[in-house]
Amino acid sequence: MEDGNFLTDDFLRQLINVGEVDILVGLPTHNNAKTIGSIVHTIRSGILRDFPRERVVILNADGGSRDGTPELITGVSIDDVRPASNVYALRTLHAISTKYASTPQSGVALRTILAAAELLRAKACIVVSPESELITPEWISNLLRPVYYEGFDLVSPTYRRHKFDGLLTTNLLYPMVRALYGVRIREAYMSEFGFSGRLGSQFLGKNRWNDGIGEDGAELRLALAAVTGGFRICQSFLGTKDPVERRAADLVSTLRQSVGVLFSALEFDFDVWSTVSGSQDVPTTGNDLELLLDPLRVNRKRLLEMFTSGVSELESVFQSILSPSTLADLKRIVGLGDEQFRYPAELWVRTVYEFAAAFQKSVINRDHIIQALAPLFRGRVFTFVVENRNGSAMDVANNIEGLCLEFERLKPYLLEIWKSKE
Amino acid sequence: MNSNNEDELWYKDAIIYQVHVRTFHDSNGDGIGDFLGLEQKLDYLQELGVSAIWLMPFFPSPLRDDGYDIADYYSAHPSYGTLEDFRKVLDSAHQRGIRVIIEMVLNHTSDQHPWFQEARSSQDNPRRDWYVWSDTDTRYKDTRIIFLDTEKSNWAWDPTSKSFYWHRFFSHQPDLNYDNPAVREQMWNVMKFWLEMGVDGFRLDAVPYLVEREGTNCENLPETHNILKELRRKLDQHFPGRMLLAEANQWPADLRPYFGDSDEFHMAFHFPLMPRMFMGLKLEDRKPITEILQQTPEIPPSCQWSLFLRNHDELTLEMVTDMERDYMYDVYAQNKTMRLNLGIRRRLAPLLNNDRRRIELMNGMLMSLPGTPIIYYGDEIGMGDNISLGDRNGVRTPMQWSGGWNAGFSTAESEKLYAPIIHDPVYGYPAVNVAAQRESEHSLFHWMRRIIAVRKSSAVFGRGSIEFLYPANHRILAYLRRLGSETVLIVNNLSSAAQAVELDLRRYKGNILIEMFGNNLFPRVGDLPYLLTLGSYQSYWFRLRRV
Repeated sequence: MEDGNFLTDDFLRQLINVGEVDILVGLPTHNNAKTIGSIVHTIRSGILRDFPRERVVILNADGGSRDGTPELITGVSIDDVRPASNVYALRTLHAISTKYASTPQSGVALRTILAAAELLRAKACIVVSPESELITPEWISNLLRPVYYEGFDLVSPTYRRHKFDGLLTTNLLYPMVRALYGVRIREAYMSEFGFSGRLGSQFLGKNRWNDGIGEDGAELRLALAAVTGGFRICQSFLGTKDPVERRAADLVSTLRQSVGVLFSALEFDFDVWSTVSGSQDVPTTGNDLELLLDPLRVNRKRLLEMFTSGVSELESVFQSILSPSTLADLKRIVGLGDEQFRYPAELWVRTVYEFAAAFQKSVINRDHIIQALAPLFRGRVFTFVVENRNGSAMDVANNIEGLCLEFERLKPYLLEIWKSKE
Repeated sequence: MNSNNEDELWYKDAIIYQVHVRTFHDSNGDGIGDFLGLEQKLDYLQELGVSAIWLMPFFPSPLRDDGYDIADYYSAHPSYGTLEDFRKVLDSAHQRGIRVIIEMVLNHTSDQHPWFQEARSSQDNPRRDWYVWSDTDTRYKDTRIIFLDTEKSNWAWDPTSKSFYWHRFFSHQPDLNYDNPAVREQMWNVMKFWLEMGVDGFRLDAVPYLVEREGTNCENLPETHNILKELRRKLDQHFPGRMLLAEANQWPADLRPYFGDSDEFHMAFHFPLMPRMFMGLKLEDRKPITEILQQTPEIPPSCQWSLFLRNHDELTLEMVTDMERDYMYDVYAQNKTMRLNLGIRRRLAPLLNNDRRRIELMNGMLMSLPGTPIIYYGDEIGMGDNISLGDRNGVRTPMQWSGGWNAGFSTAESEKLYAPIIHDPVYGYPAVNVAAQRESEHSLFHWMRRIIAVRKSSAVFGRGSIEFLYPANHRILAYLRRLGSETVLIVNNLSSAAQAVELDLRRYKGNILIEMFGNNLFPRVGDLPYLLTLGSYQSYWFRLRRV
């Protein structure tokens, strides 16, 4: 069992009072008061409707909110002291909260949730994003049922998204995880997911929490741990995912949490992924890809500008990371005008693989490597948007599938550069 | 025993033992329990510590509903003996300090009762209006059917007088017409007859249904309460110190009027609590119990709830929600033959998988929650049931006195017994019987004796207030019982696993806790939350004492 000393005495006291549970719902938060109220009520509705007999705790791991977020969550408790009006529950429903730090750290939040799940011997757990305002009670059931009733260890979500939403997932994470680990998990970088107590305990015990690496992108690490550990994985369609609106500066942070984690994991999982060829579907409830096609304004000009200036400004960095031929191809496409510019799949895959190998070899500071990927990713996004601007859902799906196959086809190239001394 | 000088609130301190004469002991070897057999076993009841017995119907009856279909209110069923035999039971019980409560079915008679035979004989018969008749079966259509498994309507066709008669229970149990003053007078005369003989109280059966009114559900009507108040007024006037116990299977808010302003019933069964005790135990969560008690209204000081775990009927699930009923069926009656009407026809021990710890826990709550406990015969030794017997007969099998012939119940040939004795390996009479448990110091029987003695050691249990503590650990049901300067703390662990609990007892700072079974001292209450650890299904009863 993981050393639980990082949990506070007060939190341990709360856990003692909750006791053993069947289901744990984890809510990592930080100043989410605007959205969390409706989310946690939806969670409660889902629990009361579909799991009325189970022992359930809603557990908030809070990163120092100052807007009353924890109180909104604990307020949905149902017990004999605070019976909920107009809500009928067979048994006590606990909602507890702990402040794990004064600043948000998603990895510490997940670690707290995992440790609590282990201490409470939870059979099935889910984690829900505090920003998923479109959540419905069905999400809760769809994430829990495969674990609680069907013996799966990890439930990865699939969503209905706009075709230009989640492009880091569709253009890098999904195809790369699929090509390297051989499983077609659409959303390995999960914001909502379900997992078994068995998987949670193993990940809690094995993940490198204390060396400064394991806490970043812990959700992705959990998914990869499920793959490499031979756990039973499935996907469950949840519904429409809130569109992500992030500032440009957020991209680097997201790349660190996702691509950086994936690159890092490749080092430790080499024995696994180096022997995998091809890829397999995972059992999926509902659709694994639903795309919305309504018009969406994308500032392509800005994307291309950032790509162009990035390639120009970071050329010396790229010289350390990329092979001469890849760099030359990049410089070549930089010179193309708006109309002609394309960042083809083959070049994109080669770029990503060379970044991964450079990361492994630490040719320069690893964080700089991740930062340097940002402008290139924007170039790839530009191309994806242009290529799929008028595409149907089928066209977009085929495009993504083509990219995935390119990742799989070029996997030997990654192995080659991974093993090379240079 | 029931003289005016006695404490008129005796029922608040009572330990009531529910028994059917037929089931208890057979003195004449005909295979059927009788009054004299019951009398012979009064020493046993005295040893157990009960202070009142409640006898189920023993009147002449065709026994199509185990005696609740009465054919003569002024006599005893010949199988059980004579009125003289009953007087002997009364006298012997009173000599032992045991009061006698008898069943009285006011709502309906048997269709074999001469009153009904006369009423149906012609539409002009003077007794015609003693029952509720109609030319159609569409009146009172808002009234629910209680025995859903057997009855399709509350009306039954009488081919003799060619009209429909009203019945809330079985069709062979026509309801009396309480709008008729002659009926009201007659039923008071019935009660007076038995009161004059010396009975200490009545358990009045099916009282919510006495009066019918169109456009209502025909339950709990003001007219019904008026009739009950009139009976109470006469009782107090002529027989002070006697007690009326209401059988009204209703929600707490609907039950409250049956106490009136101390001018209706002295006691009423708390039906909704019982299934929630079982539910709380299975859920390992005190919420169902505390919730229903929070919803339970205050009752007048002279009144009392009557609590029970099991009785002669099914474990009724009428006063639960659909979700709760489904849960109860799934966890306590997966075998569908265990289900009857809206309930579960099982005894206490089988319901609890014969788990001694849970049986003790449930009895501990029965004895310590506010109200007067009623023990169903045989549950004090953990008797089982026989679900292969129809209706509710599976929980009405002969009392198991010994491992000898017919379990010591009767000397008759086994096939002559009114019902087969339980003989399965777990609950059969060789394994579960009074004689064996008397011999064993650690038997359930002796445990029951001890807990009854502890309960009787303090009036706080029968008369004290209750205040729930709400420790954060919801598996712990903890409450304070207080009366005058006496305070008792009860802590129950509803969980199958050991639990730690912190109780806020700061206002009792300086008190020491004295565990009431062993009189052992526990640490003094201080400023910090009082920490207790409880084993699986364990209970503590503490007397708080300032030293």
